[in-house]
Order: sequence, then structure tokens, then C-alpha cells
Amino acid sequence: MADIPKIRWSCKKSLKGHINKVNSVHFSGDSRHCVTGSLDGKLIIWDTYSGNKVQVIPLRSAWVMTVAFSPSGNFVACGGMDNQCTIYDVNNRDSSGVAKMVRELMGYEGFLSSCRFLDDGHLITGSGDMKICHWDIEKGQKTMDINGHAGDIAGLCLSPDMNSYVTGSVDKTCKLWDVRDQGHKQMFFGHEMDVASVYYHPNGQAFATCSEDKTCRMFDIRADQELCQYEAPGKNAGFTSCVLSSSGRYLIASAIENGIHAWDAMKGTHNGILNAHENRVTCISITPNGMALASTSWDQYGKVWV
Amino acid sequence: MVIMTTEVDKNQTKILAKEDITSTSTNTVTEPAPVAAASSSSSSSSPCSSSTSTTKPAIATTTATTTHLQTQSNNKKNDDAPNVLVYRKMEAVIEKMQVESTGVPVRTVKSFMSKVPSVFNGVDLIQWILKNYDVDDVTEAIHFANSLAAHGYLFPIDDHKLSVSNDGTFYRFQTPYFWPSNCWEPENTDYAVYLCKRTMQNKARLELADYEAENLAKLQKMFSRKWEFIFMQAESQSKVAKKRDKLERKVLDSQERAFWDVHRPMPGCVNTTEIDIKKAYRRGASSHGTGSSGTAVHNNPTEQWNRIIALRKQKLEKRTIKVSKAAESLVSYFEQYVDYDYFLTQPEQPNPWQTDNTEMWDAEKVSKDIPLRRVKRWSFSLRELLHDPIGREQFTKFLEKEYSSENLKFWESVQQMKKLPQSEIKPAISRIWLEYLCPDAPSPVNVDSKSVDLAKEAVNATGPPNRWCFDVAASHVYHLMTSDSYSRYLRSDMYKEFLNCSRKKIKSIPNLFGVKR
Repeated sequence: MADIPKIRWSCKKSLKGHINKVNSVHFSGDSRHCVTGSLDGKLIIWDTYSGNKVQVIPLRSAWVMTVAFSPSGNFVACGGMDNQCTIYDVNNRDSSGVAKMVRELMGYEGFLSSCRFLDDGHLITGSGDMKICHWDIEKGQKTMDINGHAGDIAGLCLSPDMNSYVTGSVDKTCKLWDVRDQGHKQMFFGHEMDVASVYYHPNGQAFATCSEDKTCRMFDIRADQELCQYEAPGKNAGFTSCVLSSSGRYLIASAIENGIHAWDAMKGTHNGILNAHENRVTCISITPNGMALASTSWDQYGKVWV
Repeated sequence: MVIMTTEVDKNQTKILAKEDITSTSTNTVTEPAPVAAASSSSSSSSPCSSSTSTTKPAIATTTATTTHLQTQSNNKKNDDAPNVLVYRKMEAVIEKMQVESTGVPVRTVKSFMSKVPSVFNGVDLIQWILKNYDVDDVTEAIHFANSLAAHGYLFPIDDHKLSVSNDGTFYRFQTPYFWPSNCWEPENTDYAVYLCKRTMQNKARLELADYEAENLAKLQKMFSRKWEFIFMQAESQSKVAKKRDKLERKVLDSQERAFWDVHRPMPGCVNTTEIDIKKAYRRGASSHGTGSSGTAVHNNPTEQWNRIIALRKQKLEKRTIKVSKAAESLVSYFEQYVDYDYFLTQPEQPNPWQTDNTEMWDAEKVSKDIPLRRVKRWSFSLRELLHDPIGREQFTKFLEKEYSSENLKFWESVQQMKKLPQSEIKPAISRIWLEYLCPDAPSPVNVDSKSVDLAKEAVNATGPPNRWCFDVAASHVYHLMTSDSYSRYLRSDMYKEFLNCSRKKIKSIPNLFGVKR
């Protein structure tokens, strides 16, 4: 198999507007809009093409740690140290002109660390109280409450067909779940420290993980084990977030040490590093069509890379 | 607005807060928590009782050693934390700077009408660093001084921005009591009291900056019920302050301000008390709730290991494919999709970020050709075909021609049903049942009797409706479509024609990734 070229990065837009660390970013299904959440207590919805803010949503709690856009682009969810998940309707405004709060999902005993929409009516969350919860948004009701891991849930990713999901946890393991069931289907060992983030391979049969143990890994579901391990030269930083390109060839992960790394996922070779930010890169998100990448950082910026 | 502090030994702040409360209610001890001066902090358990007797400016008296030792013993449990190591190093530097004969020259500067006590200027500081430490150049020295300032060990006397420049700007040392190694994690109430206090004194140097006024307003909203209380506390603190010597007050005020500049930094300033909030949480360091604190992982190692052994055994027995096969499948997936990976291949539609062309998103509105690559993708799998709105439309047409469109319709309505809110599931189930599955359904689908039985059970079940009850039947139908109609569709003239002249105009093309908003 031929080598792949060094990944070409260029920063197309800087998303300026937050006045504190930006903790999380997620793209909408239209591959154009994204939402970022920052410790300044704001969610901002960006048009990543123009770099303009589309909407600013002030939050009741500034401690936002995770955000999610629904695939339809109609809703955004966020949560964090307020131990709840709040859902806003992007298309409806309340009397003061900000996006209308639709639901506050409460009942967590720990911070919310990850959330993803199945569709406009359903949401899955992972939290610091080690639980995975499924919610019916219309009723604001919990439909499932699973003691998922032996440590905080850190990352959650839905499979491309939306029928299953994987979670990564501080207990160093990853688990595979069926959206219909309580029990996990498979469990994946290997990481030596907290798993920070997980990302499904587009074929739905494998997933990539990144961890504080300074490695990223690829696990295969059908083989039920680790396929490959990726390290940065020097191996001096843990990772915060990872994604795969739409053919599954590039593995891209953001590091604590301000950079974003890329690997050839098939060969396991390091492909490049981009000094993306001036402080820790907290989260990266790739557009559903795989055209662009957004990153957020403690340096208060978000950036769009193409 | 607020960022977590680094090292956190909450006890101290809590005690302070508590004593504060008692002090205001009894109106006796009035020394405010954060102003408990340098000399008093050696008795860290009751700094409030120390008192108004401190008369010398804190900075001049910092013999620091006693306090420092005290701090260290307080922090034994946090010894391994990296920040503490850094703090210790910084504090050693600061102590060296404060030695009277060899340190940075500290003086009281006379200006036009008033005196500025215990300050040193930026030039002296940088010179001192250059002389005493092995730094290469001025830039490095400035950087070093900046990091000391960022942690609040020294601060500019009239700027909220904690930085150092190599000029005549005046700086002052922070009292050891406020050093970050004391594990401050000040609460918002303390901050509110502090801001409130500043509004009470009619002095230019105490005037609130814009962002502080904003914070105050926010806090006032947040603590509306407790506000009277906060106000009382602020009042009593400011009363005590008024009794102090003027110069001493100046120093203490500035030190307190610098303390808050570290812990509630001005917007745009990088906060140094940075730690991943999730981590802080897990160490049980934060008051904003509880994480799993990591103990669950370790509390019972035997049990944990037994569980892992059991799971690994299970894993051994599970049927899996070989790693080589798995790797191959990923490689072949890549080979199939390499044309669609925009990091590797130029997209057919211009990339809007590169070409400044929003065609990709506007395609719905413009009538245009369907790219060949997109049509090719339909042949990869049924999933790809159905994922593309045009593909789905074409396939539906094809099935209609074959009089088997009910399969696709059934599958689609089952998928649709899964997305409905729980309240609408029940009617949807019966609708699908009546339409496709029941014995005299108008458009019966071709499924095996087992799936029908399962579905029947679900329909007649009395429990809460199950949105996945038709999944077995649906996957059966899907499989049927893949093996039968889908492969026939790919061989059909219809698809070939489409593939050959995908250049042909059609009226409107829904965006492949487009989503209705």
C-alpha cells in the first residue's frame, strides 16, 4: 500500500468570541455550522464557512464541559459541572431573543462529560457518576440508566448506523453498547490511563481511541481487540480528543501540548503535527462529510482547518 | 468567568468562610478573611482571630520562613502534585528576591501628593534576575518574571493584568498568605464580599473595573437572597480597613486585589491556576459536585481483578475474526473510499472553505449535474444508496417498477418510528402492523413467520411500547433487499444509464449531506 501524503493543513477560519477556555466543539449534520462551549458560560453557534457567530446562547452555569449538535441541526445540548444536561432549540427564540431552552435533564450525581443526539427526540449522555443515560427529549424522561463503567465516562461516539455506540472511560477501558440494551456487548482493554475520547471508524466495525497514556489506538469490533497503537514522536503529551478521516486512513488527535497530531491509521506511522493553538487543545470535531476539522482550545479560540 | 484553582485544600477557605460568618453575626472579630495579614497566617487554622495589630506593611516584614514552613506542612498530602513543586521553586526565588541586602531593592516612592510604599520597578527586577539566575537574555528574564507575576507572586500596583515589563512600572510582592501554594479555592461569596467592599470606599484606586462591575452585578443576581449578609460582611471589613494606617492599607488593598486578579482574572488574561476541571473534580478538589473520584476503580483490587479475569476468559471463548482479516477489511474500506476522503482527494464539489464557493450547501437550489463519484458510491452498499436522497429516490422508482416497493417502505417506516417520541410509538406500531405485517395487510412484506410472530408479540404486549420491536423483521427485509433487489438494481439499465449520463440535468438535487432545517 502506498504511503499517504503529509496531511495538508491550513487554518481557514478563527472562531473568535469566547473570553475563556473553550472546552468542546461539535458539528451539525449540515457540515457547516458548529457549536462551541466555553467556561465563559456561553454556547456559540458558528457558521464555519464565514466564521461568523450565528447565535450566542448564555448558560445558567458557566461550567460547560461538553456540547452536541443534533444531526438535524435543530437542537444543541450542553452540560458539565452543573450535573445536568440542557437542551436548546436553535430555531426558536424566547422573549429575550436567545435560543429557547427546551429541556433540563437532571438527576446526575456527577458532571456531564459527553452527550450525543441519536435524533431530535433522543439523547445519550455519559457522566462523571459513571453512568450512561438515555433520554426521551420530548418528555424529558430518562429511558435508560446504565452503570456503565468503573470510572467517569469520558467519551462517547455513536456508530454510523446509529444502532450502537462506544464509550471510553477513566477506568481505562472502552465498551461497546447496543442502543436498545442495558448491558455492554464488548469490552476493550489496552490503554494504561484514562481514555479521553473515542471515534467510530466510518465502516462501523472499528473505532479509534485516544488516552492520557500518550497513545491512540484502533480497536476492531469483530476481532474484539486492539489492532494498532499510535504514538507521537517524543511521546510527551496525552491526548484529549480524536477523529478519523472519512476513509479511515488518517487518525487525527489533539494533544494537551497545544498540537494536533495525524497518523496513517493503516500503517501506524506518524504523519505530522500541527501547532494549532497556544494552549491545550481541548476538542476536535470533523464535519460529517469529512471536509473540514474544527478545534477548540484553552487559548479561547476555535479554529477551522481544511 | 471563573476558573478552578490548581491545588486545592479546601479546609482553609472553608474555615475562613465559616469564621467570617460568625464574625459578622457577632460583630466582634472583624478581620476579613482574605486580609488576614502575613504575620497572622502562621496560625492557619484561625487566621481571623489575628488581627488589627499588624501595623507594618506586609511586604517589608515578610520573613516568610515561618509561614512558608507552615504552608508546606499543610500541603503534605498534595506534595506529589506538579503544581506544588512549581510553587515551591517559585517561592524560593521570591524569598531570595526579598532578602534585604541582596534582593530586589524595595523602596517607598514619593510622588506628587502621596507616597507609594514598598515597591520596586520592572528594570530592577529584570536586572536582578539577569544577575542572579542563569538566563540568556532579557527576553527570557521577562518571561520568567511574567510567569512569577502570572501566579501572583508579584504584581503591578495599578493594573489588573498580571504581567511584567522592563520599565519603570512599579511592582509589589504578594504576601505569603495569598500565595497559591496555600491552596486557595476562594468561593464566589468571598469574591462578592470583596467586590462589594470596594464599592464602599470612595477612592479612585478602589474603583471597580468594567469587568468587575459586571461580575458584581452577576453575583448580586446569584446571591440575591444572601446579599444583605454579604453586604454586612463587606461593611464590617471596610470599617476595619479604615482604622489602619494609610500606607499599610494601600499595600493590603493592592495585595488583595492581586489575589483576586489571580483567582478571578480579567477577561483575556490566561489563568494560571489551570488544571483540567475534570481532573480537579476527580481528586475531590472541587466543591461543585462530585466525580467518581477514581476510588471505585481501586477500592477492591481482588474483586476488580476477578472481574477482569472473568471478562478476559469470556473474550477468549468469543468467536472473533482474525486481526489480519480485520486489518484487511479496514484497508479495503480505505481503498474503496479514498476518493471520498477530502484529506486525500480533491472533492468534486469545490470545497467551500478553499474556493469561497458555497455551492456545496446551495446545491439544493441550483439545478446541476450529479457528480459521477457520487453515483458510483451507490454501488458500494445498500446503505450508501439509501443514504443519498437521490439514490433512495432512484431505488424507490426501481422497486416500484418491480412491484416490490413495500419492502423499502416498510423498512423506512420502521426506521422512522425509532425516531418518534415515546408517546407516538404505540400508534406507529399498530399502523405499521396493519399496513405491512398483519394477515390481511394491504401491502404485505415478505418476512419469515418467526419475525412475524415476534412482531405480533410486540404489538399485543401490554407493557410500554418498544420502539425496536420490528427490528428483526426490518433487518430481514433489509437483507432481502440487499441480496435481491439491490443487486438487480445495480445490474439494471436504470442504474447504468444513470451512471453513464450522470451528467444529465435533473431539476433539483437534494444536497447529499444536506439536512432540512
